[in-house]
Parts: sequence; structure tokens; C-alpha cells
Amino acid sequence: MIKFEHVKKHYSDGYKALHDISFSLNRGEMAFLTGHSGAGKSTLLKLIMLMERVSEGTVSVGGQNLSNIPRRQIPYFRRHVGVVFQNHRLLFDRTIFDNVALPLEISGMAQRDIGKRVRAALDKVGLLSKEKLSPIQLSGGEQQRVGIARAVVNKPPVLLADEPTGNLDPELSAEIMKLFMQFNQVGVTVLIASHDLALIHPLHYRVIELAQGSIKSGAQHG
Amino acid sequence: MADSPKSSGAKPTENKNAFKHYLEHHQKVAKSTLIQLSQHALTTSFTCFVIGIALVLPVLLSVLLANLEDINKNWDGSPQITLLLKKGLPSLDAGVLAGKILEKQSVNSSLFIDNEQALADFKTRFEFTDAIEFLDENPLPHAIIVRLNPEISSLSAIEQLRDSLVTLPEVDSAILDAAWVQRLQSITRLVERAVWIIATMLSLTVVLVLGNTIRLAIENRKEEIIVVKLVGGTDPFVRRPFLYMGVFLGLGASIVAWCLIQWVIYILNEPIQALSLSYQFEFSLSGLTFLSTLFLLIFGLSLGWLSAWLAVRRHLDEIEPS
Repeated sequence: MIKFEHVKKHYSDGYKALHDISFSLNRGEMAFLTGHSGAGKSTLLKLIMLMERVSEGTVSVGGQNLSNIPRRQIPYFRRHVGVVFQNHRLLFDRTIFDNVALPLEISGMAQRDIGKRVRAALDKVGLLSKEKLSPIQLSGGEQQRVGIARAVVNKPPVLLADEPTGNLDPELSAEIMKLFMQFNQVGVTVLIASHDLALIHPLHYRVIELAQGSIKSGAQHG
Repeated sequence: MADSPKSSGAKPTENKNAFKHYLEHHQKVAKSTLIQLSQHALTTSFTCFVIGIALVLPVLLSVLLANLEDINKNWDGSPQITLLLKKGLPSLDAGVLAGKILEKQSVNSSLFIDNEQALADFKTRFEFTDAIEFLDENPLPHAIIVRLNPEISSLSAIEQLRDSLVTLPEVDSAILDAAWVQRLQSITRLVERAVWIIATMLSLTVVLVLGNTIRLAIENRKEEIIVVKLVGGTDPFVRRPFLYMGVFLGLGASIVAWCLIQWVIYILNEPIQALSLSYQFEFSLSGLTFLSTLFLLIFGLSLGWLSAWLAVRRHLDEIEPS
């Protein structure tokens, strides 16, 4: 589903964020991406959602080489990749419902269908009763669950998360991880960047470890 | 592969009801933009006033211009020669002369004005009648007002006619009145050009002021723009609320300008009427017609849209998630 082949990412100031990254993630697979901060986790995720372009090599998602996607087509590609951010990036000037509805509105869905889909997504993350509240009225863990609802409301085949539990205590973090596992069980390909080894090791999923822009372990399946 | 990113070409246009949803979305954006603008009522009305005032001047000048052109039309355009006849010429002879002049091809009308009648007119119109009482005799000569065919427009042809009239034995002198009309036409042309220059410069001001307002709005909503882009918002989707904002501000400004112009015309009308009466004709400024009102609204709206579009092009595309 996600395939990196000899990917390099250099910045114009000479900084080499990634060198020679090769790995693949099967359809319906779930994996963690670990490594110290600065190891290149975020850069790798940005390449998958076309926030950055590769300097060399190819990244393909669903068999499509991302280098071939022109700038104008990026929005349509992003609708198939759900993303959860560490700081969840919710909009505080609107309700929980409107936050989750945003991707559906963007894709031009009819208002009545939006209602159904948003409530289904909020139900999945256990926040159905809070749809009318503002994100500011929620706890950190709840805000992150809204972020997850927004990422999956479009039913994307791929779900990415960048340190989704970075600001949460262990108990809340475990709950969040359970949510990701549930989405993976219904066939979503999930890739989560996290440095919280204590949290991810007991889960027995594949772990890809990055160090200084290279894969240290976990490039191969199993 | 139905749900794979390969089907990423699933643009809204491919949807059966896409157009309906598209309109639905437009409606929603327009509504929420209006709500946002009304939430900042003070800033919004301030902006509308600034732009409205900038619109007033060119529109007001073009209203004055239209009125000036009206005067030109009402003036019937025909030049006129006033013949002052020799002192002591009997009224009867003068009347006959007026009839003879009328026979000329280039003359449209010729009106004999008796000197007694002229003096009486003079007395009723002007206030220094007392001074006239001191005069022993009527200082005014008989006069004939000759109006030429409107087709005769060249000054040399008119002057030629005047010269031939002045050689008549009964005529003392001739006064050519064409200069007035020509002067007015020159003034009209001058004002016309000034209107264009001022309109262009002030439109530019409007675009800059509105563009800056939109730029600030973009800055304020940077986080939202980034999120929208991250979850797959296209450039037109991101631009839309700002374009609506420009349109609404432009429209609001036109309405402000309309009110100000009607008010200014109301204020100016009284002194203008007094002035025109002193030139012996009745004239009052007419306000904005339905068509010019429509034009003003569409003009403001388009300027708003244009400014927003420029600002959005310049600033929105720079905001990319990183």
C-alpha cells in the first residue's frame, strides 16, 4: 500500500533528512515508526501525504507514484489519506461536528449524508454526545479523538499519525492506540510515528526504527 | 482498488448531484462569510465607509458630467448672434429687418427685441433700477437675436455670417454667442477626462485597501487554511470565503457610496438652482438613475471581487502546510 524505494530527502540548506529509505507496508498492515526526534519520522510522513516531495527515489501509495501527482491534484490525493497530528490541529472557531465534517464538505458531499457520516465517526471515538461543543471545552484526550474522527470520516484507506499520544498520559495514550487498532482491523493501513517505546512494544506490531535519516531496523516484514 | 488513492480523480464534478452540492456549498460559504462580517460589524462598516467614500468622488463627478451634458443638449446647440441696431432706428424698420434676416438660409429664427421692452425686462430682472431712473433716455438700442441653423457648427462659417450682417446699414454691431456653448463643451470634455483619471486612481485605492483587508483576513485564518489544505481542500475551495468577503465588502461600499451621493446631490441642489437662475435658466441636479445605481452596485461588487482575487492569489498560495 505504501512503498518507499531508495528515498532521499535533502533540504536546500544542505540538511539531509532522509537517505536511502526503502520499505513497504502491505494493504491492511499496521506499523509504528520510531526513533529519536530528528531521526526523520515526520519527514517520512510528510512525503506520504505530499507535504514534501522526495529529492530522489520514489514513494508510491496504492500503486501510484507520488512524484507523478501534479500540484493541482494533491488535494484529491489527500482525501484518501487520513492524518492525525500531535497537536490535533482542530479549529477552535467551530463545533466538534463542524470540525469532523470539514473533509466531507471539501469533497462536496450532500449535507444530509454529512450528518450521518460525522455522527458515525464521532460514535466510533465515543464523542457522539459532544458534537455541539467547541473543541476548547474538551480534554486533551478528547480533542485527539476528535482529530482521529476527522481523519477517518472520509473512510480513507490509509491512516497516518504523527506522535498522536505525544501530549497524553499513558492511560489515555493506550485508549488512542486501541482506536487505531480498531481501524486497522477493518482494513485500514495504519502508520504511526511515535517515540513512546513503552507504549508500542507490548502491542506486537511491526516497528520501523529510524536513526539519523536511515532505517535501523524493521525494513523487512515480520 | 475502489478505495485506493488511485481513484483520487474522484472530483466533485463526477458526482451525479455535484452541481447541486456545489451550489449548496456556495450558499453555505456566503452565509458564513456574512455572519463573520457581521460579527466584526465595526471593522466591516469602517472598511465599507472607507471604500464607499473612495467610490463617491468618481461617481459624483460622472453624475455632474451627465448633468452637464444634459445642459448641452437642452441648449439646442445652435449658436446665436445678437445684432445691436443703430440708435434712433424706428421699431417698424427694425421689425422689417428681422423679417429680411429670417429669409437667409442659414438662419433658424430671428427675434426682434424692442428697446422699451428690453428696458422693462432689465428693470424686473436686476436690482439697480434706481440708477436707470436717473437716465434721461433709454440707453438700450433695438436688438435682433438671430439663431443659426444647428448644422452650422464651424466657427468660421458663423463669423462669416456675422460679418455679412454687420455690414447692413441698420446694424451697429453684432455679438457672437457661440463662445459660451463652445466653452461649455470644452469644460465638459475636461471634466470627462478628469473623471476618468480620478476614477482610475480611486479604483486602484479601493483595490489596495480591500486587498489589504483580505490579506489580514487570510493571516487571521492561516491555521484554518492549513487544515483545509491538509484534509484535501482545493485552491478554489480555500479561496472561496475570501472572494465572497471581497464581494460583500464591495457591495456594502457601493451602498454606502449610493447613500452619500444622494445626500451630496440633495445638499448641492439648492445652491445650484440659485446659481442657474442667476444665469436665467432653470436647472436642477438629477440624482442617480436606476441604471447608474445598478452600475454602481455592480462596479463595487466587481472591484471587491477583483481585489480579493488579487490578494488571494498573492497570499493564499504561499500558505502551505509544513
